[in-house]
Amino acid sequence: MINTPERNDTDCTYKQGTLPQCAPLSAVFIPYQQQDAPKYANTEALTRGTLFPGLDLPFMNVANKNNPYAGTHLGDLMALDFVMKELNLYLDTHKDDAEAFALLQSVIELSRQAHAKYVKLHGPLMLKDLAGCDSYTWLHDPWPWEFSVCEVAD
Amino acid sequence: MFVYQKKLEYPVRIANPNPALAKFIVSQYGGPDGELGASLRYLSQRYSMPYAEVKGLLTDIGTEELSHLEIVGTVIHQLTRKMTTDDVISAGLETYFVDHTAGVYPQFASGYPWSAATLQVTGDPIADLNEDLAAEQKARVTYDNILRMSDDPDVNNVIRFLREREVVHYQRFGEALQLATERQNQKNIYAVNPGFDR
Repeated sequence: MINTPERNDTDCTYKQGTLPQCAPLSAVFIPYQQQDAPKYANTEALTRGTLFPGLDLPFMNVANKNNPYAGTHLGDLMALDFVMKELNLYLDTHKDDAEAFALLQSVIELSRQAHAKYVKLHGPLMLKDLAGCDSYTWLHDPWPWEFSVCEVAD
Repeated sequence: MFVYQKKLEYPVRIANPNPALAKFIVSQYGGPDGELGASLRYLSQRYSMPYAEVKGLLTDIGTEELSHLEIVGTVIHQLTRKMTTDDVISAGLETYFVDHTAGVYPQFASGYPWSAATLQVTGDPIADLNEDLAAEQKARVTYDNILRMSDDPDVNNVIRFLREREVVHYQRFGEALQLATERQNQKNIYAVNPGFDR
């Protein structure tokens, strides 16, 4: 189905966006993503690389089924922070979507809790986290790029 | 300002080192359509962007690209960890190794060093956003080509994540271009440069 300006928004599926009634010539147009689009759960969003099934367009139709930290404290935090980032970019171009903003606020709160939980069990993620530590643990291995055999698991 | 978080945006855990893959994946670190160029392109285009939504988007996507630079650097580091000179020679990595050993250096797959000539900041919102759309497509194709050549599941898991981000960024830049277009003179969107002619 081709998305034409005549078509009413409600006729479009979540994989299609909206275009203006009239548009200037010699200008690129990409349709706006519609509000209230379906969303993946947090970990699935991180694994697939997008919160939105409508934007999930994998090469050769092969998508990730899991990620190596799924189910760990760090994996949970990564998933929340990823959803936060995805809503951040969405809201930059949809700033009046109150529902998406409320969702962002709830994800920020969950991320704050998951961050605090991780820091308590595994050490600081940011310099500020040292406020609650007994010594200068910022330098403890592993750094994010290092391959670690012992998983940062629960 | 930027504040470091001691974690990656997406987990990287490559069980089997493989310097032969690092040889071409390094292009997404410092190549013509790689993550270093992406972050500098968007973070540099912000200053002449007149629209709040697009200032925000360039800042937020530019910041995410720095996280992607770190992810690709991590992939190169893990693919080349514990390699011997025999591994270097059998992988055909000699020309990289002689200059950089097992370090991570921003260069094209061909060996050409990262170049600011691969990006542009025109100071014109419409031209810059058109460049950004093209940049996301070029990076997406590079990830497609990496997926064609790599059969390592741990590597491909990360590459698929990074590739999908290009698709999402393309959509957002498209929406930003639409916002910018709507704010300009609808009879002639090229009548002035709103990044300069105030």
